[in-house]
Amino acid sequence: MPEIRLEHVTKRFDKFVAVEDLNMVIEDRDFVTLLGPSGCGKTTTLRMIAGLESPTEGRITIGDQVVFDAAEGINISPAKRDIGFLFQNYALWPHMTVYQNIAFGLENLKWKKDSIRTRVDEMLKMLKIEQFEKRYPSELSGGQQQRVAIARTLAPRPKVLFMDEPLSNLDAKLRLEMRTELKRLHADTDSTFVYVTHDQLEAMTLATKVCLMQTGVLQQYDPPLTVYNNPANRFVADFVGNPTMNFVKAVAGKASDKSAIISMFGKLFRFDSQSSLDLADGENDVIIGIRPEFIRLGNGTIDGKVYATLPSGMETMVKLSVGNETLTSVAFGSVDYPFNMPIDFEIIGNGIVMFDGKTEKNLSLGSVSPQ
Amino acid sequence: MTENFTAVSGKRRVMNSIKAFFTQPANIILTVSVVLLGFFTIYPLVLLVLDTTKVHIAEVMFKELRGLKVGQFTFFHWYRMLLSDMSGVYFWNPLKNAVLMSVLASFIAIIYGGVVAFLITRTDIKAKKFISSVFIFPYIMPSWTLASFWKNFFQNPGIGSGTGGFLFNLLGVRVSEGFVYGLVPCAIVLGLHYAPFAYILIGGILRNMDANLEEAATILKASRAKIIRKITLPIVLPALLSTFLLVFSSSMSAYAVPQFLGGSSGFTVLTTTMKQFINSGWYGQGYIMAIFMIIFGLVILAINQYATGKRKSFTTVTGKSGQISYIKMGGWKYAAAAIIIALCIFCSVLPLITFALESLCVIPGDYSTLTLEFWISKTTTSSGNGIRGLFYEPQVWTAFKNSLLLSGTCALFAGTVGILIGYSVAKRRGTFLAKAADNLAFLPYLMPSMALGAAFLAIGGPLGLSKTFFLLALVGSIKYLPFASRSGINAMLQLSGEIEEAALIVNVPWWKRMVRVIFPIQRSTFISGYLLPFTSCMRELSLFTLLASGSTVILTTLLEDWQAWWTQSANALNLLIIITVLAVNFIVNKLTGASIDKGVGG
Repeated sequence: MPEIRLEHVTKRFDKFVAVEDLNMVIEDRDFVTLLGPSGCGKTTTLRMIAGLESPTEGRITIGDQVVFDAAEGINISPAKRDIGFLFQNYALWPHMTVYQNIAFGLENLKWKKDSIRTRVDEMLKMLKIEQFEKRYPSELSGGQQQRVAIARTLAPRPKVLFMDEPLSNLDAKLRLEMRTELKRLHADTDSTFVYVTHDQLEAMTLATKVCLMQTGVLQQYDPPLTVYNNPANRFVADFVGNPTMNFVKAVAGKASDKSAIISMFGKLFRFDSQSSLDLADGENDVIIGIRPEFIRLGNGTIDGKVYATLPSGMETMVKLSVGNETLTSVAFGSVDYPFNMPIDFEIIGNGIVMFDGKTEKNLSLGSVSPQ
Repeated sequence: MTENFTAVSGKRRVMNSIKAFFTQPANIILTVSVVLLGFFTIYPLVLLVLDTTKVHIAEVMFKELRGLKVGQFTFFHWYRMLLSDMSGVYFWNPLKNAVLMSVLASFIAIIYGGVVAFLITRTDIKAKKFISSVFIFPYIMPSWTLASFWKNFFQNPGIGSGTGGFLFNLLGVRVSEGFVYGLVPCAIVLGLHYAPFAYILIGGILRNMDANLEEAATILKASRAKIIRKITLPIVLPALLSTFLLVFSSSMSAYAVPQFLGGSSGFTVLTTTMKQFINSGWYGQGYIMAIFMIIFGLVILAINQYATGKRKSFTTVTGKSGQISYIKMGGWKYAAAAIIIALCIFCSVLPLITFALESLCVIPGDYSTLTLEFWISKTTTSSGNGIRGLFYEPQVWTAFKNSLLLSGTCALFAGTVGILIGYSVAKRRGTFLAKAADNLAFLPYLMPSMALGAAFLAIGGPLGLSKTFFLLALVGSIKYLPFASRSGINAMLQLSGEIEEAALIVNVPWWKRMVRVIFPIQRSTFISGYLLPFTSCMRELSLFTLLASGSTVILTTLLEDWQAWWTQSANALNLLIIITVLAVNFIVNKLTGASIDKGVGG
């Protein structure tokens, strides 16, 4: 069964480095999302695996076949890689009907006429677009076009399916709906999905593994909840999660192998780490990362003021100002605080992250308690 | 052992890379076209330059060259052209005339075309659809149409050939000679001919210009006049400049108009003088003129590129054209429409009427007795020119067949190569090969038709192709390749690469992707890549005038032969050519929906 292996893959456009020394393994039947801000090299990575783009260096293996090797000059055409590709703007052929769009690929794979008919009908039914069979793409809505594109991609039963931001052209409601269906589709089709998106929520909800990239460099490649709970560095922590994590500048001094004394908000706290702490002796500049859900309002030792309250029904986001810092906290249910109301809060849970102040790398995961 | 291994691997690596390179059709196309185009554009230029320093057979008569053998090296041609007593008559005077004529023509084209474009896109003038389709007529018709019409119209017994023209015959008006022959009429006729060009370029920009830009100014309480001056004009300025340069360079290389209207007043320009040199066998001097014309073309393109930043930058101003509030012209909207329609009729309908009338006169220019013999006589006509009626004249049929065959061949070749180059350049954008192919395919555009004709005259001998139909087809294909490759590249750039990749992934072979996916989607653009070379070729004179002769005579060169002597037959032939060109345009337009004025009309 196919396992996709990327070894030291680098892509340069002239002097601009799009992807740098990327190593990753995509297991069979994974649903991997390539996530990152625009221009981070995720689409380039996807297109390189698909064979639509040639890496400058490195080697790509699909299953036991080397499909690209810069050193040996091997470059197998995308047609021979047994893959499917779902394009961002669908790339439906405007001069062919829905049926022809789906059937065209199968004709080229030398399928028999009646099996083409059967397969297309199956796809039409699966994606609930039977009634549009004779229509042209321009006569369909965005969501319907999207389904046709999916049907066309899935029809030849590709082992691996690549998707390049397939939902970004849909409206919010439809996007949510298609997300569910894609996840279901992954389970039903038994194939490997590689999915590019810049929407962290999409990446989190769909994937079995998230590959987060920034300016061509891999930042973290882990299951979504690991990425959320134990981000490799500040960039990852900042990119994943909504509302975003609070970052508080602090100074830390080592207390024992697994604990430290930190000073933030002009107060002293104790940081208990889950693993041994790699801190130098004396004062260390660190950044304490606190997810909004770990800030509990009321009954705390830290004093702040309400900057603004943003209720959204099920939950309420409260922005606090503490000294010069602005923090975000999330409270369940609807609450409304007046502006500038003094409020106190505490930091709860053991999912508080300590980042190195300079390298911004994750030093440790732990809990914070008042000293 | 290790060394051996790396050596084998190195060789295999090179072989693998070459294999990977050539499995991409785009790479194959680019390589082949760079080699072929390089040969057929650079080689003629080199020969052209070399030939300016050689002695040719007819040049031995010059006393300065006496004793030298044919083919020997000499700087005499350059000396005679630029420095000798004759240089004024042979070079500087024609140069001055050509520049004056071209500058005047450019201004006329821009003012006339620009005003109409503005009226159509920005005001509530009446009859927009009609005007925009009639206005471009002169551009579809051969360039000499207006010239011979001008002659037919203003001719009077006091000047030139002494026959009466339309205006004289109907109203007895005698205009002065300077208004019929020489600088002024040449400039006016060229200006009118190229006005549609200005209209298309400027109109295109005005139409694509985001209306919000002007609306934003309206909201800030700028007056209409101020908006035009401060917003509209600066934005269309690059288009104005491009139009100026393109009309200027087209006029510089115009041959038919100054040939038809220069005549009796001794008004000579570079092209007409060059043709005389080459007809006399003085190739050295003729080729020097060709080189100067090419240099002019290059300088103009360089200015254009420098001024507008990029070759195509006048199309970069785009945006959503929302609901534009048209300038209300009140009663003027009828008056302006009437004036423009009258002008259009003068330029595009009246010529056809005068050609028909002139072709029916027993005595040239005398409308009192009419005859059909110049059309249908089966024996030689009574005017004693040895030519039969147009429908029974073998020369006409040979030329007609040749013209169709030539245009068809050129269109097929240029159109197809244009699509392929467009495809590959768009695919491999930014690579060295793509840039080379793009530039080589565009190079012929910069070479004035006649200079390119001269260059191919120069290579005809060494390649053993002199006076062959193949040479005509070759020069035509090369000359019109830029149109086709431009439209090919544009069509491909509009098409998202994903459309082809979606087919590539399901293993559709390259030719099938082209035929089944890419061509059908961009059909109308691609077909205009075939149409443009075809219609241009049908009406082309200056490119072929040096090359066509005897059995390779084509309609336009035949017309040029007849024009000076056999008025009625020439007018009949003229009408035949124009009707053929219009008919082809009309048919293709109806069949494919591709048309020149697409996107400008109201």
